[in-house]
Amino acid sequence: MTPLLWKDYQKEVPDNHYFFVRSCIRQTFFPGAEAALLDILRNSLGLDVFEDRRHTTCTGIAYHCDLVPLETIMTVIARQLSLMTEAGYRHLLVSCVTSFGIYLEMLDMWQHHPEMLEQTREALWKSTRRSFELPVALVHTSDLVYHLRKPIADRSPHRLVDKSTQRALRVVDHVGCHYAKIFPAGGFGGAEFPSVLSGLAETFGGEMVDYPERRHCCGFGFRHYLLQENRGYSLSNSRIKFESMEAFAPDLILTNCPGCNMFLDRWQYTLAEMSGKTYDREGKGIPVLSHEELAALMLGRDPWTLGLQMHQVQLEPLLDKIGIAYQARQKYSMLAGAASLPGEPSVLKVSFQ
Amino acid sequence: MASLLSQLKDDIRFSEGLSACMNCGICTAVCPAAAYFDYDPRRICQLVQTGDEQDLENLLKGEEIWMCGQCLSCKARCPRGNVPGYLIQALRKLSQQSGHFIHSREGRKQIRLKRRIGHSILETGYCVHPQMVEPETHPEQGPVWVWALEQGADLYRRCGSNYYGEGEGGLRKMAPGVLDELEAIFEETGGLRFWEAIERGAEELKLNTEP
Amino acid sequence: MNASEYLPNDEVAIIGGGPAGMQTALALSERGFSVRIYEQKEQLGGHLKGWHHLFPHGVAASDLLGQLKEQVLARAVPLHLGQSVDRLQKVGAGWALWQGERPLGRAGVVVLANGFALFDARRKEEYGYGLYPSVLTAADLEAVFRKEQPWPFGSDRMAPQVGFVHCVGSRDLKCGSPHCSKLCCVTAVKQAMAVKSLFPEAQVYCFYMDLRMHGLEYEELYRKAQVDYGVRFIRGRLSEAAPGQGKRLHVKAEDTLQGRPLHLQLDMLVLMSGMVPAFLLEQQERAVFLKEPVFGSGFVPVQGLLAAGSVVQQEGLFASGACKGPATLPEVFADASAVAREVEQYLKSLKAVGHA
Repeated sequence: MTPLLWKDYQKEVPDNHYFFVRSCIRQTFFPGAEAALLDILRNSLGLDVFEDRRHTTCTGIAYHCDLVPLETIMTVIARQLSLMTEAGYRHLLVSCVTSFGIYLEMLDMWQHHPEMLEQTREALWKSTRRSFELPVALVHTSDLVYHLRKPIADRSPHRLVDKSTQRALRVVDHVGCHYAKIFPAGGFGGAEFPSVLSGLAETFGGEMVDYPERRHCCGFGFRHYLLQENRGYSLSNSRIKFESMEAFAPDLILTNCPGCNMFLDRWQYTLAEMSGKTYDREGKGIPVLSHEELAALMLGRDPWTLGLQMHQVQLEPLLDKIGIAYQARQKYSMLAGAASLPGEPSVLKVSFQ
Repeated sequence: MASLLSQLKDDIRFSEGLSACMNCGICTAVCPAAAYFDYDPRRICQLVQTGDEQDLENLLKGEEIWMCGQCLSCKARCPRGNVPGYLIQALRKLSQQSGHFIHSREGRKQIRLKRRIGHSILETGYCVHPQMVEPETHPEQGPVWVWALEQGADLYRRCGSNYYGEGEGGLRKMAPGVLDELEAIFEETGGLRFWEAIERGAEELKLNTEP
Repeated sequence: MNASEYLPNDEVAIIGGGPAGMQTALALSERGFSVRIYEQKEQLGGHLKGWHHLFPHGVAASDLLGQLKEQVLARAVPLHLGQSVDRLQKVGAGWALWQGERPLGRAGVVVLANGFALFDARRKEEYGYGLYPSVLTAADLEAVFRKEQPWPFGSDRMAPQVGFVHCVGSRDLKCGSPHCSKLCCVTAVKQAMAVKSLFPEAQVYCFYMDLRMHGLEYEELYRKAQVDYGVRFIRGRLSEAAPGQGKRLHVKAEDTLQGRPLHLQLDMLVLMSGMVPAFLLEQQERAVFLKEPVFGSGFVPVQGLLAAGSVVQQEGLFASGACKGPATLPEVFADASAVAREVEQYLKSLKAVGHA
């Protein structure tokens, strides 16, 4: 039944028993995020979240570079689902937003074109001798974190509030395009006012800030980033967002898509080097966090185990505002002892000590 | 040989993407590619629905269809339920299958993408992984990325990743059987055949450019 | 109770006391039938109560409403105000009317004349109605013209930037309203000229897909708007409105005739909310329910061109005016006479068969 008002739409999210699939980009740039999330779900909240080491990329990035035929990605998806089925799960938990969009599309196609489902079953069988069931629930990790926001907040000593002034921190949310623009019913709050991140931030006491280009794509553009000479497209679309949010002085940019998390971080650095401009007032940039990184920080996880030192825009101003303690000297140290420090950008200020 | 138009219409992404555009411009209004390039998704929908075979061939040979960034913001807004982004997917697919992609600068770049991202899938089981993101060709990743790659396993394992290691976890090395299954899927479903079409285009270019 | 026990009954119950209901009541009353009006609000008039000046000649809505009410009162048509019929139960050849569990009366014939609803503009979320104070509907703007509501921009704005968005909740599958609401284009042009009259330095834009100026003298209004009032027409449907600086809005459209995207900062955005069904007609064998509309609900279905006042599948149930679909006031008045004729034919046929 199509709701009349999408803003209040609440997606159904099961409480437990998930089969987890990872994100290429998140594993690459934010390795700590998935590890922290699994730790929170399994150990802090006692949930059953299973991962099969035989699962692979969904090939979504290649698909959106128009390198992979529909039938191929459909069968790769089917293989992931066969692993899920084999392990006895029917709830799929997806880390990547592009991937989430792909699963939504494939399920939708199978529903409207049952002959494609049959063809996929046949193709998977012929190539791998595997068979699969459809998931009963398709959930992005940000859906689950949103769904669990109260238990997480209850266990958290921190709030998105400036400890010294008691002012609520100003949060800008950037929801990945493929989360809700493809099927509004796939995301909390529909396509225009998705609440999956704003609801999370507000539960932690943050103040959400709307700004003109909130819904604008970060500009990944797939081929436009992966081809070096095309990257101006990607940079320019993120710039449109930064220019638009600047006047609202956000303390934090919150994302759920790993690509967006990376771009909104790195393009701030790049723009600073190219134009001398940063979008905060101190030359340090606006900190960017994903939903798992935020949840992990709120639950007291160590920022450097979480991998926040891998962000180019430093997180320390935000950590200081919230009152999260961290060992500054540990930031760049390694398991094997102290190692080299990263180079210093010429404009963007980073924190080394 | 079936006309380009009928081949396009056979693609399910075409039928999902375009069923009567009324040229309202809502898609172009929010399209990031329209903001950046001389590109207009509405104009492409109108061109295609006019149904001229030569226009379609020109489109498949041209630069325009490669501008879309696949964000699907158009899908969220179209009041008729069309999806210019899906139409673009169908056009790009046809452009590569038919070989017309070699006539555009942007189209020719598919060869590089196939050899990088495509090969990565079958070689590693990932579309993207750290060692693919070379700092020399990714200066925008910043000095922190140079450092992260230098630290490699030490850093990644500290964060809970398996970093190309055997076993399970993030960035694990896929077991050989896994990659075999992926390849079998690509073989069975026409993925490899599609890549051959791209390589054939590359071959043809070499022939044309040799003195 | 069987049909013969049912008292001879050429009484007509009209549901709805707006222009359609009043005019249909007058047409039937003048033909000698006894009619009653059931109106859910405490006053007659329907949407007409909220308008300021009517296109194309600028007649004051309150004057027209006054005339209609006078005529209705003059014919002593019984009025049941504050009674909202939600169920019609077939009894013999006639009807029993109910509001929940409360019986409201009986009639030989029922005429649905309960009009339309305006599309709830909050549903077009990308325009921010209900969230951003600078976004109004056309109905809100009429209230501003009547000085019942303030302008959403400060009194220091002598040259406000104003946009009118055609087709809000019309021609929109996404909102479940595929139809054209017919009179939003002429209303937008009318309102645009009114804004320019009040703020001669204003920049006024109409964002349209097609300009449907179908009625008598409508096309002339369009030309007048351009030539005499300087209203700017942009062929491109608005895609989104977002909060800009202060109370301003940042809007995006494509100027399709130029083939390029367009961004503007506006002080006020007026949404031409379409006419959508006010109720969902649910038909069962011996009963008809008037329920809350749901996504994709249609207007009241009628039996073709020569019986355009007769509701499908039912004997003795008629429909007059905009409850059947978007209609202008002249069309509603003409329809009332046509429906009255059909009702008369029907009641005559009942007599012939012996039901009366």
